[in-house]
Amino acid sequence: MTQLYAVALNTFKETIRDRVLGVIVIFALLMIVSSLWLGSISLGQEARMMKDFGLLAVSFFGLIVAVFVGASLLHKEVEKRTVFVILSKPVGRAQFIFAKFLGLAVTLACVLAGMGLFLFFADWIVARSPAPLLVAATALIYLQLLVVVAVTMALSTVTSTILASVLGITVFVAGQLSRSALSLTELGQSAVVKGLAWVVYVAIPNLNAVDIKPAVVGEISPDWALVAAWGGYLAAYTVLALVLASWSFSRKEF
Amino acid sequence: MRRVAAIVVVAACLSAVIGFQITREVNAAGNPRVFVPSPRFFEKLAPSFRTTIADAYWLGVVQYYGEHVDGDGRLDSLPAMLDVVTKLSPHFIEPYLFSTFALVDAGEPQMAYDVLERGFKANPRDWRLPFQLGFMAYTYGPKETKARAAAKWFAVAGKLPGSPPFVPRLAANMLARGGEREKAALMWGQIYTQGDKYARAKAVVGLEAILPPGNEARTKALVPLYRTMPRKDFNALVEDLVAGSTP
Repeated sequence: MTQLYAVALNTFKETIRDRVLGVIVIFALLMIVSSLWLGSISLGQEARMMKDFGLLAVSFFGLIVAVFVGASLLHKEVEKRTVFVILSKPVGRAQFIFAKFLGLAVTLACVLAGMGLFLFFADWIVARSPAPLLVAATALIYLQLLVVVAVTMALSTVTSTILASVLGITVFVAGQLSRSALSLTELGQSAVVKGLAWVVYVAIPNLNAVDIKPAVVGEISPDWALVAAWGGYLAAYTVLALVLASWSFSRKEF
Repeated sequence: MRRVAAIVVVAACLSAVIGFQITREVNAAGNPRVFVPSPRFFEKLAPSFRTTIADAYWLGVVQYYGEHVDGDGRLDSLPAMLDVVTKLSPHFIEPYLFSTFALVDAGEPQMAYDVLERGFKANPRDWRLPFQLGFMAYTYGPKETKARAAAKWFAVAGKLPGSPPFVPRLAANMLARGGEREKAALMWGQIYTQGDKYARAKAVVGLEAILPPGNEARTKALVPLYRTMPRKDFNALVEDLVAGSTP
């Protein structure tokens, strides 16, 4: 447990000090502020624009952090050869993977909390009333990104950093389209296409299921029980991806 | 020497870049025909970001309308753009209201009416939509039925929460104009019962305008009000009518 904590803390410190992270966060905050300008040309829809484009910025920049940092996390350790020092200590490979994930998860939590709170207060000023759903939406984006981090880490154990990043982004995009894969199963005439669509639907994390952006702008009222259930599904998916990453990492020869 | 040369090059490039940009003729209006994919395409492509896409198109609609309405006057792609916004975000009220004027400018009043009707189906608690429908029905409807159609929508709007007090009065006036005197009288009676002093005065004036001349005919016309209004309010109304008709 101490080793897990030590590696996680170290990963957190290492990633949070990354200057690129600061630049990404600044860009995200700028994009949130720029939605004020978008609001000014929207015929009185400032608050709606702020919420929608603000959450888009949180998702987009959060994804960049999750994917690029997640993909390089293990490779960096191997390239700097620090992995040998760590693994020579009583730290299991699975423990190492989980600790790395935890460290990045905390960093991602800090980044998203910063962006989410900034958006929440900026929206409060514009709309003149607080929108607690913005906080919930940011938390659910965080949950989506944790899945992406875990999958990207699993992929980075078998591919290069760049390919893992690209695949990580692909998983995020495909996860948003999960329902479309399901509709393909209904449209397909051949059994093969139907079967393939089912495999894709089951294999790809259904990130869209915990999306409450339409609720934030008043389009729907969220079914919290359903969102919680899908949240549990995503947590289980994250654990599965991490187990896969550990298994793949344990078979790796340096 | 090198430094001076570098400064001269930078200054020359900078003035060229800025000078070129600001001396070009600004093309105010772009092409009035722009490609707009179907809302279904966006629903399938990015279900998680459908409201964001709707917002982006809403900004596009505002820009497009502003660019063309005072320029070439062509709003060819406006209906399709508004369709994307309203179908991707059916509870976003502004585009429906905007379509009342914008689609009329685009020469599509019937489409504006249809969009508003669709908006009201999706948002049956928003009084502004039936109010605009009444406005559209009266402005662009067939001469013989427009007042009655408008009255129907104004009456619906008047019953919804948040509607201003003048909406039921508008409905009553429209009913009278459409020849539905009895319904108009009933509506004025309702306005009289529920309204303040100002609304009551307006109801008396409205009733005066539609009640037939002669005591017997007037009394007969007031019978439906007698049946539907609370006794106290009815008596007060009759007193006001008598006082109003006394020279």
